[in-house]
Amino acid sequence: MKSTESILVIDDDLDFLEIIKRILEKKGYATGTAPSAKAALALLKERFFNVTILDISLPDADGTELLPTILDIQPDIIAIMLTGHSSMQNAIKSLNRGAFAYLEKPLDTSNLLAVIDRGLEKQRLVIENRQLMDELERHNHVTNTLLSVSQAASQSLDLQKILDSALERVAQCTGIEASFVYISQNERLVLKAHHGLSRRMVDAMLKEIGPGSGTIFDIYQQGQAEIIEDLGKTGQSDLGFLRGGGYLSFAGVPLMILGKAIGVLGVTTSFAHYFSANNVELLTGIAREIAIAVRNAQLYEEASSANALRELDAMRTEFLANVSHELRTPLAVIKGSANSLLQPDVIFDDQTRHDFLTSIDRDADTLTHLVDDLLMMSRLDADAMEIKKKPCLLNEVVDSIKDRLDNLTLKHHLVIRIPEGLPPVEIDEGRIGEVLTNLVENAVKFSDDSTTITIEARHRGKEIAVSVADEGVGIPENLHEKIFERFFQGEGRKAGRRKGTGLGLAICRGIVEAHGGKIRVDSGPEKGANFSFTLPVD
Amino acid sequence: MDKKRILIVDDDPAILRLLGTNLKARGYEVVTATNGEESLEAVQNDFIDLIILDLMMPKIDGVEVCRRIREWSNIPIIILSARGDEKDKVKCLELGADDYLTKPFGIAELMARIKTAFRHRGDAAAAPAQSSFTCDGLEINFAKRRVTVDGREVTLTPTEYAMLQHLAVNSDKVLTHSMLLQSIWGNEYSSEKEYLRVFVGRLRRKLEPDPKNPRYIQTIPGVGYHLATVR
Repeated sequence: MKSTESILVIDDDLDFLEIIKRILEKKGYATGTAPSAKAALALLKERFFNVTILDISLPDADGTELLPTILDIQPDIIAIMLTGHSSMQNAIKSLNRGAFAYLEKPLDTSNLLAVIDRGLEKQRLVIENRQLMDELERHNHVTNTLLSVSQAASQSLDLQKILDSALERVAQCTGIEASFVYISQNERLVLKAHHGLSRRMVDAMLKEIGPGSGTIFDIYQQGQAEIIEDLGKTGQSDLGFLRGGGYLSFAGVPLMILGKAIGVLGVTTSFAHYFSANNVELLTGIAREIAIAVRNAQLYEEASSANALRELDAMRTEFLANVSHELRTPLAVIKGSANSLLQPDVIFDDQTRHDFLTSIDRDADTLTHLVDDLLMMSRLDADAMEIKKKPCLLNEVVDSIKDRLDNLTLKHHLVIRIPEGLPPVEIDEGRIGEVLTNLVENAVKFSDDSTTITIEARHRGKEIAVSVADEGVGIPENLHEKIFERFFQGEGRKAGRRKGTGLGLAICRGIVEAHGGKIRVDSGPEKGANFSFTLPVD
Repeated sequence: MDKKRILIVDDDPAILRLLGTNLKARGYEVVTATNGEESLEAVQNDFIDLIILDLMMPKIDGVEVCRRIREWSNIPIIILSARGDEKDKVKCLELGADDYLTKPFGIAELMARIKTAFRHRGDAAAAPAQSSFTCDGLEINFAKRRVTVDGREVTLTPTEYAMLQHLAVNSDKVLTHSMLLQSIWGNEYSSEKEYLRVFVGRLRRKLEPDPKNPRYIQTIPGVGYHLATVR
C-alpha cells in the first residue's frame, strides 16, 4: 500500500518543495519536506522514510556530503539525488556514497515517479532478503542449539549428568542466564537440576512441588508452555524467589514424551519482556530433547534394576539347585548304604556291613557340615552370628586347625609362615579358624595337585594381615568383588569340579567383617589367588 | 554265561564303594573311574557291558562322556546324578543315555534298571517270531538286529532298537504311551512320558529322511505312537 510509504524531499527551493509534495501526495505517498540539511536530519531522526529526494546543493551542506549521515540514521532509505546543473562527477560521487539514482532538474515527473517505484521495489527486496536471512539464521540457531543440547543430553545415561550438561548447553547457546528442571516422581515434581542460579536462590526454591503450588506445576499438569513477561507485575507466586534474585522474565515449557509431561524446564533472565513466541518454539524443542534423554535414562535404570533382580533370582535358583545337589550327594550314600543292608536278596559279610555303616556315619557328618553352613549364612543374613572374642595368638589358632589343614592339603605343599612375637588379637578363635580352613579348602579346590599353598601373617600398624595364597588358575579381576557375594559360583576352574554351595567366601567375609576386619583377593588369570584378611589389634 | 562287566563313573569314592559292593554281590564284575577321562579309557579298553555315569565330575563331565561314547558305541548308559532337573534328564536322554536315575536312589530300583538295559541289548529272548520287517524302504532283520533305510545301514542303541522292534512287531496298531513304556522299560516307568518323546525323537533322527515330517513313526497326539505300513 503506497499510503504507508513515505518520501522526504530535501530542497532549499520552497516552490519546488511544494510542487513535488503535491505530485507525490496525489500518487498516494506520505511526504515530508525539509529546506535544509539540519531540518532534514531532525525529521529523519523522528520519522521513518522509505525514500528521500535530495538536492545536491543545500544552503547548509553539500547533498553528497549529507548522504552518508542520512544512511547512517536510516540505512534502508532509498536516496534519489537532484541537481540543477548536470555534473558527471557529482553523479558518480553520489552513487558511490550510496545513492540509488541521480536526476537532473528540471524534473521529468513521470521519470521521477518511475525511479521512486524502482527504488521502492529494490527496498522491498532488500528488506525481504534480510528477513529471510534473519529467519534462516534463527532456524540455524534453533537447529544448532537443539543439536548441541541433544548431544549433551545423549552423552550419558545418568539422569543427573544429562540434565546438568543440557542446562549448560542451553545457557551457552541461548544466553539465557538461569534455568532449572523439575522431573515428575509419583505425580509430584522434584527439582533435579539448575544452572546459573545462586546458592541462595536454590535454597529458596521448592525442592518438591505438588498440585496447586503454582505456575510450574500448572505447566506440568496442563502440558502447556507459559511465559511471564514481567515478574515484577505479577502477584505472589511460586516464582517469587526469581523476582527476589533480580530476574524479571520467565518461560516454562513441559518436558513431553508421547503426549505426557514428565517434567518442566524453566528459564529466566533479568530483562523484562525477554521471551517471545520464537523463544518458546526453541525452548519446546530443547525440552523435547531433554525429555527424550531423561526417558532413556529412566528406562535404562528400570531395565538395569530389572536385570539385577533377574540376576539375583537366577543366583537364588542356581543356589537352590546347588544346595539340592550338595544335599543329595551325601544322602545318596546314606540311603544307598542303609538300603543295601535292607535288601533281601543279598546278605553282606560283617566287614561290608561295617563299611556301609561307616559310610552312613561319615556322610551324615558331611550333611551336618552343609546344614551348618546354611545356618551360618542365614545367621549372617539376620546379623545374628555370635562372636565370642578373647585375646588369641594367631599361631595358636593355626595350630588348633593344623590337623584339618593337613588333611585338606594331602596332595599339596602347605607352607605356614607366622612370625614369632605377633601381638595377640581379640578374636573368636573358632570362627577365624573356620575362615582359614575355608580359604585353604578353596585353594585346594582351585589349584593343581603338588602346587604350594602358603598361609602367611604380618603385623602392619594397627592390624594383622593374614593371607592364603595358591598357585592355581587365579581369578579374573572383574570377579574380585563378586566372589564374596553369597551364591556366587566360580566357573571353569579345575574343569568339571563339583561346585560348592557358593557360601564359603560369603561366610568368610561375614566373619571377618564381624571382627572389624576386611577381606580381599589379589589375583590375575593363571597367577594364582592370594586371599587376605585383616584383624585389628589394639 | 560270562559275568557282565559294569563301569561305574563317579568322583565320590563312597558312591563307587557302595555301588561296587552291591553289584559284585549280585554277580557283576565292576570297573571304576573317578573322572570322565578315565571312564573313556575304560570303555575303550575294558570290554564294558554297561556304564553307570555320574554327571558332575572333574575334567570331562558326564554329559560330555555320554556324547563322546555315543559317537562310536551303543553300550547301555545309565545316568546316576544328584541333578534331578527335568532339563538335565531330557538332555542326557537326547544325547544317547538309556536311562536316568536321581540320587538318592534305592538299590533295588537301580538293579531293575540295569536289568532293563541288558534286556534291550537283546540278551533276554526278545527276538520276535518273524525274521524281518519291511516298510517303504525301512528294513529290520530281527535275527541279526540289523536296520537299514533305503539300503543304508542305521546304527541304533539297544534301547532305540528295542523300541523300533516293538513298534515294528505291532505295526499299524496304536501303542499307547503307557503300553510302550511298560513293554520297553518296565512297569515302574509308566509315567516317564519324556522317555518316549526323547527316544521317538532319536529314532526319527536316525531313520526318517525328514524327522519333522515322519513317514514311519506317527504320533497320535495325546494317545501314543504307531508305525504305519500303509499311509
